[in-house]
Amino acid sequence: MSQYFAGIDLGSTMTKAVIMNQAVLASVIGPTGPEHRKLANRVMEEALTRAKLPFADITYVVATGYGRINVPFADKQITEISCHARGVSYLLPEVKTVIDIGGQDSKGIKLKDGRVVDFVMNDKCAAGTGRFLEVTAEGLGVKLDDMGKLALTAKNAVRISNTCTVFATQEVVSKLAEGMPLPDIIAGLHEAIAARVYSMVGRLKIEKEVALTGGGAKDIGLVKALETKLGYSVLVPPEPLLTGAIGAALLGKDIVKEAEKKGETLPRSERRLTEATFFT
Amino acid sequence: MTEEKKPEEKKKRKTATEAASKIGPMVKATIGGTVQAREEGKPIAYSFICCCYDEIIRAMDIVPVWTENYAGVCGAKRDAQRFLERAEAENFSRSLCTYALCGLGFDAWREELGEMPPEPPWGGQARPDMMLGSGQMLCDPRNKWYQAAQHYMPDIPVYDAGAPWPPYEDDYDYREVQDYYVKYIVEELKGLVKFLEKHTGRKMDWDRLSELVDLADRTWNLIWETYELRRAVPTPMGTGDAMNTMVPMVFMMGTQEAYDFYQELNDELKHKIANKEGVIPDEKYRLIWGGGLPSWFALSDFNYFNSKGAVFPVEVTYRMVEAIYHFDIDLSKITDPLEHIAWRWVKFWTYWYDKAKKRLGSHPDVERLIQYIEDYKIDGIVMHEAFSCRSWHVGLIWQLNLLKKVYKDIPSLILESDIVDISSYNEADTRARIDTFIDTLEAVKSQGR
Repeated sequence: MSQYFAGIDLGSTMTKAVIMNQAVLASVIGPTGPEHRKLANRVMEEALTRAKLPFADITYVVATGYGRINVPFADKQITEISCHARGVSYLLPEVKTVIDIGGQDSKGIKLKDGRVVDFVMNDKCAAGTGRFLEVTAEGLGVKLDDMGKLALTAKNAVRISNTCTVFATQEVVSKLAEGMPLPDIIAGLHEAIAARVYSMVGRLKIEKEVALTGGGAKDIGLVKALETKLGYSVLVPPEPLLTGAIGAALLGKDIVKEAEKKGETLPRSERRLTEATFFT
Repeated sequence: MTEEKKPEEKKKRKTATEAASKIGPMVKATIGGTVQAREEGKPIAYSFICCCYDEIIRAMDIVPVWTENYAGVCGAKRDAQRFLERAEAENFSRSLCTYALCGLGFDAWREELGEMPPEPPWGGQARPDMMLGSGQMLCDPRNKWYQAAQHYMPDIPVYDAGAPWPPYEDDYDYREVQDYYVKYIVEELKGLVKFLEKHTGRKMDWDRLSELVDLADRTWNLIWETYELRRAVPTPMGTGDAMNTMVPMVFMMGTQEAYDFYQELNDELKHKIANKEGVIPDEKYRLIWGGGLPSWFALSDFNYFNSKGAVFPVEVTYRMVEAIYHFDIDLSKITDPLEHIAWRWVKFWTYWYDKAKKRLGSHPDVERLIQYIEDYKIDGIVMHEAFSCRSWHVGLIWQLNLLKKVYKDIPSLILESDIVDISSYNEADTRARIDTFIDTLEAVKSQGR
């Protein structure tokens, strides 16, 4: 009988779920709202529908991401760093350094044989995270998804001197008022965020190959800015938002296989996909 | 109104040793004692820890008010914000040392009211008769804080006892210049004694000072020997407790009470070792607190580490002693008490210099870490970057990088917050980092690195 593994990654901005056996059978990406537990339930239901599987067929569920404790049906919670590491190693085995630019934090992860050996995180300041781009895009009246393409048409990136997200937004609006071209301003924002991330990850000894994951990896302007900082190309997984969820599912599989090898019975959660709220 | 703010609720931290659990009441009694001393007209001095004048003030029966300690108490009780905000309202920058800001905010408020601010933690910080600063490399508030406090207490005299030590350079032997440093410190301490005699009307009892210096020497040795017991597996005491047991070391040096405390701790640790009683029953990861003052309001994070199987058998923070008998001079032959204090001071701060010179590109602070990592069988290193403590925390990342370069690539975790300012702290993020660090330690262990 086939075994199926689910990984669910409740990030600060997006929630991701995958169903795997030998490969990814189905995946879902949806925005994270305030009701994590309710959302986890819905995202998992959607992933199961796409995989054409009932929840009872899922052998093991691992939750990760900053909302991981709010997944009541998960068998285990694992930190996002470990899950990203496992996911990236599966998708891009040659990678030794992972840079993840998420909605509210950014991380650097050093890998050896697919396992984490060191990491750094920025969770104190929006600068250096997706939130920085989100807020400044709003200030500029540009769709977040269009930022990357626009930046590629820049001629001279504008220097953004404020690292604080709030003040940087004011700065870019004033630069727009001064008549500076929009693409140049956006390219400047990408350079600013790349500089912040690069200095943070620089605490690790950055080794090639480098993978870029998270929402930031979907912004081609940011990818290019980071490559300029590093001096070489980075690898981006086919769907950079899913590495954490894939890693969670794979770690679940590892746990089950290890337990089977030892003849152990794993402790499991209550296996019901019921809705839960903060008020129950 | 900031004056109206009440502290957040905080649970009492669980300690592993009986000795550590006694510290809270001891500090409370000491602080209460300073308020009572003020009422009784005893001479009171604002004082800093680690300024090599402990025995001098004890010999003259001057009551020290340890201002850093009081700020730490406000932080630990999560009741520092109103004093920080008060200092900010006085135009002090929020990026200054938050110990100093808390103290200055408290002083400004107390002086304005002519009495303690409302509901002061543990009875409040008593008004001093004098303030004893210190010019040295440990931190800049030591010679600026009390000058600033004079804005609110212009009648209170300040004495800055300079206590420098030779800086580390790999291309010279500090012994070439150590005599000059000792001579300078002795002159500064003589000046301090004159200052204290003038403002208290008392005469220094030099024989008593010599006795207290000898007592402090013995206490140094006893502390060193006691802390070395923590090498045991499982370790009987962690850094969480050491952040309590440092109190007699830095606030009560030169007192019989401090010596007795460490004797009791020594006995307790030996008993625990004999019974294989560790901080936690199943010790999986042994960590070093490799630098940085703790967040006094979040000491329960040490318990969180424990809940994940991690213990801290050793720390560099507040381990402010070495075994006197390891120094390269025989201090017992230096009978002049001031000279004795000065030599002990210089030898303490230069203790790791020779070792650093033997490893290409190393540094004394890094050598100390390496020694502890080996002696205490350490798996990983944790540091805390407290944003407001610039002089002591600024080189931590550099130390960590150098350690990895000259020694080995040991797993590391940098926590970011502050010593007193709770607004810099996020428990969920901190614990997420700890969880990830534990995963990393597990991965490294499973790879047999």
